[in-house]
Amino acid sequence: MPSSAGVLTPALTTFSRSVRNRGTPIESSIENLISLLKRRQIRDSKPCAMATAYLLRRVVETFKIADVSGLIERVQQVGERLLAAQPRELAIGNIVRRVLGVIREEAEEDRDGETSGYSDADTDSRPHSAGENGSRLPEAPGAVSRALLSSPLRRGASDQPSLEPHEDGAFQRLPVLTAHASYASTNTGPVVTSMFSLLSHPRSNVALPTATPGSQSAESHPPLSNTALANLTAAKDLRAEIVEGIQEILEELNQADDQIAGYCLEHIHSNEVILTHTSSITVQKFLLKAAAKRKFTVIHAETFPNHHESTHATVIGKAKGESDDELRPESFQKSLTAAGITVILIPDSAVFALMSRVNKVILDTHIVLANGGLVAAAGAKVVAKAASMHRTPVIVLSGVYKLSPVYPFDIDSLMENGDPAGVIGYGDGDMVNKVEFENPLFDHIPPELVDLYITNLGGHAPTYLYRIIADHYRAEDTELDKLNAYQ
Amino acid sequence: MLTPPPEENTAIPPSSDPNNGSPSFNLVSTYKNILSTDLLITKPIAAIESLISLLSASPPSTISETLSLLESATSELKDSVPNSIALSAGTDLFQRYLISTLQQGSAQSAKSKGKRSSSGGDGDFRAIRAHLLANGRLFAQRANESRGQIAKVARKFVRDGCTVLTCGRSRVVAAVLGAAAEDGAKFRVVYAQDSNDGLSKNSADIVTELWRKDIPVATITFAALAASLPYVTFALVGAESVVENGGIVSGMGTNQMGLLAKSVGKPFYVVAESHKFVRVHPLSGDDLPLGQKVLDFSTQSREEEKEHEEGKRKAGDEVVDFTPPNLITAIVTESGVQTPSAVSEELIKIWF
Amino acid sequence: MAPSESAQDDTMPSEKDRLDKKVTNGEQKVASMAEHIPGTNGTGEAAKGSEQGQKLADVPKEKELSGKEKKELAKAQKIAKRAAEKQKQQGQPAVDLVAGNKGELPKDSGKKGPLGPATPAKTQHKKTGSTSAGAQSSLPHRQALSHAAPAAAEPGKENKNVALFDHLYGHPRRTTVAGAGKDVHPAVLALGIQMRNYIVCGSSARCVAMLLVFKRVIESYTTPPRNSLPRHLTILLSSQIDYLVSCRPISISMGNAIRWLKVEISNVDVSTPESQAKSDLCDLIDTYVREKVTVADQVIANKANDKIEDGDVIMTFAKSSIVQQTLVEAFRRGKRFRVIVVDSRPLLEGKNLARALADLGLEVQYSLTHGISHVIRDTTKVFLGAHAMMSTGLYSRVGTALVAMSAKEANVPVIVCCESVKLTERVALDSFVHNEVAPAEELIIQGKPSSPLSKWVDVPNLQLLNLMYDLTPAEYINMVVTEYGIIPPSSVPVIIRLSTNT
Repeated sequence: MPSSAGVLTPALTTFSRSVRNRGTPIESSIENLISLLKRRQIRDSKPCAMATAYLLRRVVETFKIADVSGLIERVQQVGERLLAAQPRELAIGNIVRRVLGVIREEAEEDRDGETSGYSDADTDSRPHSAGENGSRLPEAPGAVSRALLSSPLRRGASDQPSLEPHEDGAFQRLPVLTAHASYASTNTGPVVTSMFSLLSHPRSNVALPTATPGSQSAESHPPLSNTALANLTAAKDLRAEIVEGIQEILEELNQADDQIAGYCLEHIHSNEVILTHTSSITVQKFLLKAAAKRKFTVIHAETFPNHHESTHATVIGKAKGESDDELRPESFQKSLTAAGITVILIPDSAVFALMSRVNKVILDTHIVLANGGLVAAAGAKVVAKAASMHRTPVIVLSGVYKLSPVYPFDIDSLMENGDPAGVIGYGDGDMVNKVEFENPLFDHIPPELVDLYITNLGGHAPTYLYRIIADHYRAEDTELDKLNAYQ
Repeated sequence: MLTPPPEENTAIPPSSDPNNGSPSFNLVSTYKNILSTDLLITKPIAAIESLISLLSASPPSTISETLSLLESATSELKDSVPNSIALSAGTDLFQRYLISTLQQGSAQSAKSKGKRSSSGGDGDFRAIRAHLLANGRLFAQRANESRGQIAKVARKFVRDGCTVLTCGRSRVVAAVLGAAAEDGAKFRVVYAQDSNDGLSKNSADIVTELWRKDIPVATITFAALAASLPYVTFALVGAESVVENGGIVSGMGTNQMGLLAKSVGKPFYVVAESHKFVRVHPLSGDDLPLGQKVLDFSTQSREEEKEHEEGKRKAGDEVVDFTPPNLITAIVTESGVQTPSAVSEELIKIWF
Repeated sequence: MAPSESAQDDTMPSEKDRLDKKVTNGEQKVASMAEHIPGTNGTGEAAKGSEQGQKLADVPKEKELSGKEKKELAKAQKIAKRAAEKQKQQGQPAVDLVAGNKGELPKDSGKKGPLGPATPAKTQHKKTGSTSAGAQSSLPHRQALSHAAPAAAEPGKENKNVALFDHLYGHPRRTTVAGAGKDVHPAVLALGIQMRNYIVCGSSARCVAMLLVFKRVIESYTTPPRNSLPRHLTILLSSQIDYLVSCRPISISMGNAIRWLKVEISNVDVSTPESQAKSDLCDLIDTYVREKVTVADQVIANKANDKIEDGDVIMTFAKSSIVQQTLVEAFRRGKRFRVIVVDSRPLLEGKNLARALADLGLEVQYSLTHGISHVIRDTTKVFLGAHAMMSTGLYSRVGTALVAMSAKEANVPVIVCCESVKLTERVALDSFVHNEVAPAEELIIQGKPSSPLSKWVDVPNLQLLNLMYDLTPAEYINMVVTEYGIIPPSSVPVIIRLSTNT
C-alpha cells in the first residue's frame, strides 16, 4: 500500500512497515497489534481498520492454504484475538468480517468453476452451484434445487436447530461479491426472501455451506466444504485473489473520506449554517469540498475536554503534527477559514442556544450500529437531541467500514471512560479525593435522532441502513465476536 | 419473469369448478380443527397445513387448476373468519412459493435446455407438489423451531435487573422470557391484562410459567399501564401479523402500550416469526379487514350489554388492534433483530 | 467596594493560601503570554484601556484597606488619565494582555470575603465575595481580557462579531471609569468595574449589590436648589444606571429592582423633609433586599427541600447560590442524596459548587456538558438556578437548556429555584432575543502557552462566540420554586402581577 504510507499515525505507520517485512514472524505481528490496541496506541475506527487489514493480508499471505475452511478458521481466530484485545473498536470486527467474506467468496467462485456441471449457464452469479444439490433430488432437479438454493439467507430454520441465530439474519440476501470493496447494492441477482425457507425442501439446507453460521462453521462444516473446498488445486491463485480483495478493502479505507466528500454539494447549499462537533477529517473534507463552490457558515462546537485541542487546531488552520487520533493526509492542509468560510467556534454549552439558526448538523461517528444508531464522541448525543428538538436535520458521515452488523444489545459495553484529568483540569488536585469525576469518551445516539447517513456509497436513510450492512457482511460472520455474542 | 399468469404455462383450459376435485374435503373445518388441536400452531401455519391437506385430498392436476383451486379455497377460508389477516399470511406465502418456484424452475430449465417447454414446468410442479405433501408437518415443526431461535436472539434484550412489560398470550414472548429465565437472568415482568380479577385463562400460561421459574411477575390492568411504565425497562410483545410497513396486528391493547412506551421513551420490541409477515398495508387501525367493532354504541342497560358482550366473545376471534411501525423499536424474527423498515423488503421479494 | 462584599468569612486559611499561590501562577502565565503576543489587538486606544483598567483594578484593594473610597478612586482616575495621556503621546501600543485568566478565575472566587453588615447573609456566587487577595490579583486578568471584545469598532479590522448576534454586541463593555458621567457616584463606578469583571456575578448578587450602592447614592444625595427630590433623584439614578449598563448589561432582577425603586422615589411626597425622605428610601431598600432575597432564599430552600428525598440523585448545572443553599439545607436536615454537578467552559462555575458541597461531606460527582447523556441516567431530579424566569422559559447560564432537554428525554423532573425578583413578563422564544455576549477571549484555554486559539484574531473568517445565557423552553420545566410557592412556568405572569400589586 505505498499510496497510504506516510499519511498514517506513527504507531500505524510503524506497524504497517513491520507487518510488511517478510522477516517478521506472523505471530509476532499479531502480538504486536494486540499490544498496540490494548495500549490504545492504535485507536479510532480508521487506524484500527487499516491495521487489521494489514495484518490479515499478512495472515493470508503466510497461511499455507490446504483448504479454505482452515484459512477461514485462522482468520476467525486472529480476529477474535484482536477483538478481545479491544472489544470497543468494532471496526476491527468489521474488517475481519469483510476479509472472511472475501475468502468465502473466492472459495465459492473457485468451487463454482470446478463443480458447476450443468448450471454454469446461469446468468446470475450467485455463489451456489445448483448442480450438486439438484442431483440429489430425483424429481425435477432443476426447478426445485434452484428455488431452494435461491435462498442463501436461510440458515437451517429447522434442520439445524442447534445453530446460533444471526442478529441480522433477516437481511441475508448475499451480495454478489465480485468486487470486494464496498459497492452500491445495484446487483440484480434474483430476489430471494427468507420467508420461503419455511416451505423449502428439507434436504437442501444440508448442502449449503452458508447455512452454517458463525465461527463454528469451520469445525462443523457440512460435507460440501470438506469435499469441494479441500481439493482446491489452485490454492495459490486463490491466495492471490484474496490478497487482492484485501487490497481493495484497504483502498476503500483510504478513499472513503474523499468519496464521502464527493456528495457534499447535494447537502450543503449557499448561506446555510452548518453545525459540527469534534474535528473530524471526514467532516472537514466534506465541508472544504463544498466551500470550493458555495458560501456558508460553520458553527464548530469545540468538544471539550476530549477533542478541543484538535478542534482548536482545526479552526485555526494549523495542522498540528501527526496526532495520534487523526490521520492527516498531506492533501489536507487548507482550513475552512482560508477557503473563505466563516467559522464560529463555540463552547459545547451553546449548542442549544444556536440550534434554532442552524440548517444542518453534520456529525462524525466512531461506529454505526446495526439498528441505525451510532457511537460518536461524547457530547454528540445532546447535539443530536437538540437538533431533533429544533427539527434540524442531522447528517452522519461514515465510511462503510464503520458500519457494524452487531446489534447493540448492550450499549454500555461500547462506552468508555477517559482520563478524569480532562474534566478536573490542573490545579484542582485537591478535589480528586472528594469528588467523583466523569469523563465519558463516547455517546450512543439512537437511530431516531439521525436523519441521513452519508457513506462512500452515497446517502442512506437510517431505515435503509440494514440493507447496506447486510450487503457487506456474510450472515455467518455476524457473530464473529464471541464476546458480544453472549452477554 | 415478474408476473406471468400461471395459465401461460399450460394449454389445458381452466376447470369449470375448482372445488370439484375435493367434494368431501372441508377446508374451513380442517383449518379450525388444526388450530384447536395444536395449541402451538400459528394461524398462518394452520392455513398452510389446511391447504396442503386440500392438495392431498384432491387428485393431481395441472398447475393452473391447482392454483385456481388454491385461490378459491383461500378466499373461502378468509371469508369464514372475521379477521383473515393472519391466515392470509400463510396462504399468500404458500401461493407465492408455488408460483415463484415454478417460474424460476421453468426459467432455468428453458435456459439450460435451450428451449421452451411447458412439460418441464409440469415436471417441476409435480416435484413441488410431492415435496409439499410429504413435508406438511415439517413446516409446523420449523415454525415452532423458529420460535426457539427468536427466543435465543431476543433473550439478549432481557438483561439482569431489567423489568419487562408485556401483554397478550404470545407464545413467542413466553418462549423469550422462558429462555431468559432458564439462562438464569434476573429480571421481573409486568403483565398487563384486561381485568385484575384473577388471571384470565389465556394469560395464565405465560404468568404461571414464569412464576414456576421464580420470575417475579406483577399483573396490572391496562388501565394501570401509564402508571407502571416508569418502572419498566422495555416492552416486549408478540404479534398476530406483521404488515408491509412494519406495523403489527396484535391483541387489543398493544397499540396503547406502544403509544405509551413511545411517550416515555421506552423501547418497544416485537417478537414474531417471519411467516407472519403479510402483504397488507393499512393506513391506520380502522383500515384493516378485521371485521370487528371497536366501538359499540348503545343505550341498553349494563346487564344487557354484558350479555351482548359475552355473545360476541363466543363468536370466536379475539379482538386485535394495529400498532404502527413508528412505535416499534425493533422486530425480532428467527433471522435476527431488524428494524420495521426491513419487513417490507422481505415481502416485496416474495411478490417480485 | 463594600456593598458587594458579603457576609460570612468561612474560608479556610489553607484554601486562602492555595488560592493566593494559584493567582500568582496565573499572573505569571499572563505575563508570559503577553510576551508572546505583543500588540495583538493593539491600537493605542485599546491598549490604553487595558492599562487604565489595570490601574483601576488595583484601586478596590487599596480602598478596601483604607476604607476611603472616594479619595482613592479619584486618585486612581487621575493615575489612569495620566497613563492614558502618556500613551497617546508616545503613540505606542502597550503590551496587550490578550490572555485572560479563565482557568484561574473561578478558583479566585472560591474565597469568601468578609461581608458587609447590610448585605444578605450569603455569597451569591462565590465570585461575589471575592475580595482581598483573590480579587486583587484576578482583577488585572479580567481587565486584560476586557478590551479585546470591541474589535468591531476598529476601522480596517475584520469584524469579529458573530453576525447572528449583532444585536447583542452593542457597545463594547466599558473597561475603565474614564469618561463616566460626572455625577456617577464613586461607589457606583467601582461596582460597575466589579460587575464587568465578574467579581460581582450572579443575578441576585448583582441586584443586591446595586441596591446597596444606590443606598449610598441616596445617603450622600442633596437636592439641588429649585429642584424636587423625586424628580432630580430619579434623573441622578438614571445616570448611575447608564453607567452600570455600559459596564455589563444589567440583569432582569436588576431591572425589576430599578423599576421598583423609581416608583418608590416618585412616590415620595415633595413635602417630606429631605433627610426623612432619604432615610425612608434607605429603609425601603433594606426591606426590599431582605424580603426579596435574603428571606426569599430561605423560604425557597425550605420549599425545594420538600422535593428532595432519601436516595435521590440530584443534578445541577454550573452554580446557582439558591440551589446550593437548597442542597446544603437538605444535607443539614440529614437527607441522604447524591449530587451531580454538570459544568461547562469557559466559566467552570460548577467546580466551586462541587468543591463546596464535597467539603461539607456530600457525595458529589462532577462532569461537563459532554457527559450529560451519561450522568442523566442516574439522575432522579434536576435542580436549576435562574438568571430570569419567563412564562416562555428559563433564562439561565448557557448550557442549562441542554441539561433540561436531556432530563425531559429521560423523564427526570426539572425544578427551577428562583426568587420572584427574577420573574419577568418579558418573553422570548429562543436564546437570541435576550442574551449577553461575553468577550471571546475568555474561551482561550490558559495554561499551555501553545493554545492555538491565542492567535484567533489573526485568522480571517474565524469567530469565537462566548454566549452567557440560553433559553430553556418552558416545556422542559416541571416546576418553579419561588418564595410565593411552587408554580408551573405558565404561572410566572400571575406571580408577577400579584407581587407587584402588593
